[in-house]
Amino acid sequence: MRIDKELCVHCGECIAICPVNAIRLQKKDKATGAKAHAEIDRDECVECAACFRSKICPENAIQEEKLAWPRILRKAFSDPVYTHEGTDIPGRGTEEMKTNDVTGRFKDGFIGIGLEFGRPGIGTRFREAEKAIKKLIPLGVHLEPNNPLTQLISNPHTGELKPEILNEKVLSTIVEAIIPVGKFQEVMAVVREIADEVDTVFSFDVIGKVAPDGSIPAAQEMQKAGLTPSFNGKVNVGLGRPSFPF
Amino acid sequence: MSHTLHRCGKHDDLKNDFVVFCMSAKTVNAKGSGPKMRKFFEILKKYPAVNFGDVKTGSRFNSDWQTIHDGYKDQSVAHYVFSDAEVVGQILKELKEADLGLSVIVSGVFEKVGELCRQAGLPMHTVEYSGGVMGRTERLPKGPVLAITTMCGHGLVSTNLVKKMATQVKKGKKSLPEAAAELAKPCMCGVFNAQRAERLLMELN
Repeated sequence: MRIDKELCVHCGECIAICPVNAIRLQKKDKATGAKAHAEIDRDECVECAACFRSKICPENAIQEEKLAWPRILRKAFSDPVYTHEGTDIPGRGTEEMKTNDVTGRFKDGFIGIGLEFGRPGIGTRFREAEKAIKKLIPLGVHLEPNNPLTQLISNPHTGELKPEILNEKVLSTIVEAIIPVGKFQEVMAVVREIADEVDTVFSFDVIGKVAPDGSIPAAQEMQKAGLTPSFNGKVNVGLGRPSFPF
Repeated sequence: MSHTLHRCGKHDDLKNDFVVFCMSAKTVNAKGSGPKMRKFFEILKKYPAVNFGDVKTGSRFNSDWQTIHDGYKDQSVAHYVFSDAEVVGQILKELKEADLGLSVIVSGVFEKVGELCRQAGLPMHTVEYSGGVMGRTERLPKGPVLAITTMCGHGLVSTNLVKKMATQVKKGKKSLPEAAAELAKPCMCGVFNAQRAERLLMELN
């Protein structure tokens, strides 16, 4: 994103729209004569396009730019209108449990986990998510192959991401995995270590199939780990037609 | 893409906050699902909704129902937000009858959603919990501000916009519905509950 300095009238209306506080007002530069204007901090901007879509600028000074690699990743992970080439769905994640009644992605005996780096509202550099991937891979955790972050791993044995993307900032990116129920406690201990080491926040997701007897093993494992399952969340109500018996 | 998870707030505040949405599975039943998605959107139209939308075409607050309806494609996700549990219960029964074959997800307080599923004869299939926020949580805004911003799971409703709207309400420059509508605009999926935002803005004033 950029703001055309010549068109900008320095009204400041755009500042509050930015989710990562990347728009700042610059005073008139007496030395160069440059007029007062709003400016986007390109290092902080996540290319979500919230400012552009808001149409808040009375002079249409906020403009989208054509983005090249690796900056295009900022848009891909921050602007939900953008469809990932790798996953062919908008947003930064996958269908996860939303279509589980059809796909059978999460079966009995398994738990899905997601570490949503940068969420809520703080943003993250990819290097923070890399810290988590590097700690989870040695546990034998199966990372979701269709997740757009997984597709940016350059070394599947160590979890290193492509080096040129590490400093790119996004609104959020999800480390997504499926683990056997029996591995949850071990993984949780590492998730807590990750929480101590990262320079951002992450929202933690736990997905579980409801067992035939109505129990939810994922919730039981959360409690065993000292985590209180949230009282609100998502329920797939099972109306999708299964693609195979599971 | 867990965009309706992690809605922060108190139980009392969230007990009337429901998102009902429909999605096809890319590798299984996406092909040809556009008309079914439109059918879902039509079925839910007759119920009083707080918001609706699709990420590609926008929401009630930045687009219109017909544009959103006509824009549904095979890979779309159709969303509605409701504030009445009884309405959600009726919807589940009607969707069961309609038998569209697509996945339907309800976000809300589990206890209530579970009850509505039972009443509709739908055993819950899969659930997703929030395990909370970890890491540098001292950077997060507090209370009602966070409760408002987390209603857009893609993070497009900024803390500064919430504070600006709260100030404008306080100064009498905007009514509560006007301020809540402004907050709903950046959320492209239409999952932002503007009615709930009004209540939370009141807490900020």
